[in-house]
Amino acid sequence: MSQQVARMVMLVGLFALLFSAGCGKSNSAQPPAADARSHSPRGVAPDDESERKDPTLVAVTLQLNWFPEAEHGGYYAALAHGYYREAGLDVEIVPGGPETPVVQQVSRRAATFGIVNADNILFGRAQQAPIVALMAPLQISPRCLIVHKSSGIRDFDDLRDMTIAMSNSNAFSQYLRYKLDLPGVKIVPYAGNVAQFLIDKDYAQQGYVFSEPFVARKEGGDPKVLMLSELGFNPYTSLLCTHEDQLEDNPHLLQKMVAASIRGWKKYLESPDEANRLIHKANPEMDLDILEYGAETLKPLAVDSVAEQQGIGTMSRARWQKLADQLVESKQLKRKDVDVDGAFTTRFLRTANTANARKSSAKSN
Amino acid sequence: MTRAIAGLLEAVLPPLVFFAIVLAAWQAATTLWEIPVYLVPGPQRVLDAAHEHSAELLSAMRLTGAGALGGFGLGLLAGTALGLVFSQSRMIERSIYPYAIFLQTVPIVAIAPVLIMWFGNGFGGVVAVSFILSLFPVITNATAGLTTVDVNLLELFQINNASRAQVLFKLRLPNALGHLVTGAKISCGLSVIGAIVGEMSAGFGTQSFGLGYLITAATGKLDTAYAFAAVICSTLLSLAIFATVSLIGATILTRLHIAPRSSTTNP
Repeated sequence: MSQQVARMVMLVGLFALLFSAGCGKSNSAQPPAADARSHSPRGVAPDDESERKDPTLVAVTLQLNWFPEAEHGGYYAALAHGYYREAGLDVEIVPGGPETPVVQQVSRRAATFGIVNADNILFGRAQQAPIVALMAPLQISPRCLIVHKSSGIRDFDDLRDMTIAMSNSNAFSQYLRYKLDLPGVKIVPYAGNVAQFLIDKDYAQQGYVFSEPFVARKEGGDPKVLMLSELGFNPYTSLLCTHEDQLEDNPHLLQKMVAASIRGWKKYLESPDEANRLIHKANPEMDLDILEYGAETLKPLAVDSVAEQQGIGTMSRARWQKLADQLVESKQLKRKDVDVDGAFTTRFLRTANTANARKSSAKSN
Repeated sequence: MTRAIAGLLEAVLPPLVFFAIVLAAWQAATTLWEIPVYLVPGPQRVLDAAHEHSAELLSAMRLTGAGALGGFGLGLLAGTALGLVFSQSRMIERSIYPYAIFLQTVPIVAIAPVLIMWFGNGFGGVVAVSFILSLFPVITNATAGLTTVDVNLLELFQINNASRAQVLFKLRLPNALGHLVTGAKISCGLSVIGAIVGEMSAGFGTQSFGLGYLITAATGKLDTAYAFAAVICSTLLSLAIFATVSLIGATILTRLHIAPRSSTTNP
């Protein structure tokens, strides 16, 4: 009898434990944008805890679409060099990973800002997600395929009778399938590393130009890079995005965020070391040498001929429209669902670039 | 006859009514609270998506079904074979059975990419993942059925100097059939899950896509309605396979005059 009682007590205790654990989880899923940071253990703060609690700063979260890497460099630079703080923002960068639902998180305001690529925004708008892009740090997409040099493959038309590892859920992979014949090509999901590439000569895989080729070379491979942008598929990458209501409700916040982020990107392209250390801290898998290589490789992608004239982060309607057309063409988006005008705004870019110019000229004087 | 119809109605009506209520509540909730479609699509949207993509969904169901049946079939064979070995030697059972349990606790989603490295991408890899997932219930149930025979019957066989083979074929195997059917019913559902997980990391090729592919591709585009439709299709696939296995199992058992039983047996 007493044994039974003891068993009952234990059971009840176990249930209570499970229940409280469940509650804890659901709490952390719901915090409003402003104080989401306190719930996320993985975010990285530039300074110690005491300084973070500055009540005069506006706390916002920035949800990344992948583990912290060089493509997020400018945002980390703005954090590392205190640009966000100077702008009155307490930014917490929340690392992402495979299948992180950034568009959903931003649309339901679980994160104030998010980092996504342009195709995600168009797909989101097509499903009524109220998300809008504010700036495009990478004009040229770093997306590439790597093949073996020894395979003799020169460009995309040479891809035949081989295996290509590409993510299913990515727009570029469906565009590639649509655009190329790929005779005898077997397409398999991307496993997230270059192991298979190194052992199989007839194997190609997706990558970001500053990451996978570097790793493959370091491991003794002979990667040749085929840039997706050269195939014409070139969505803006690492876009800063937010909920569209913020355009009306909080223009000053957006203005500060965009200006500080652009400052961060400029800094990252000049001297990335401090930001890279912060990235390495948030994602120890990324060694400093690969980050250094990444920052160097990013330069021409961030500052192409257009960005050179119009400033870092610039976006054009024509480019957004072209991407939308490509997604429609490759049957990933329906024409009636396309919403290019709602997808982005450049109004914070113009002021940001003039403000930053004023700041830097004031400094040099 | 009318009584049979009444009985059928009694069995079928309550779940159907419940289903209708859930559907109505679902639709009402999405409309009433204006839940955005990228978070939760209403049933009407899911139905539209299913209709629009019916050709892809059907061919994906066929492909995933083939992968699942392949894994399930292999699991059934290998699991039964292992059960036979275990029933013949207490020593082997003691040394290997713990690893069978170990196999079940391995998070298959995590090791699927490794399995793909061993068995290759495409159909083989999908079958391998599905096989591993469907193996364990068969092993446990086959082993239980083959070893937990009525002690009195076993003594009867021994008194009559029955050979090992006679004990196996006339006593242990008939005793195990009911258990095997139970094991098969559990593992056929798991085999579909295995096939879908396998597909997510193995893929089928360039032109043909299974349900796992459709789910990831649709989710990537935030096309939640299409993803829901694909998930429902995988559930329907599981149900169809389960119903078939149950029917075959019941037929075998009644033909052989063995009452279907749960996993409890005589001590």
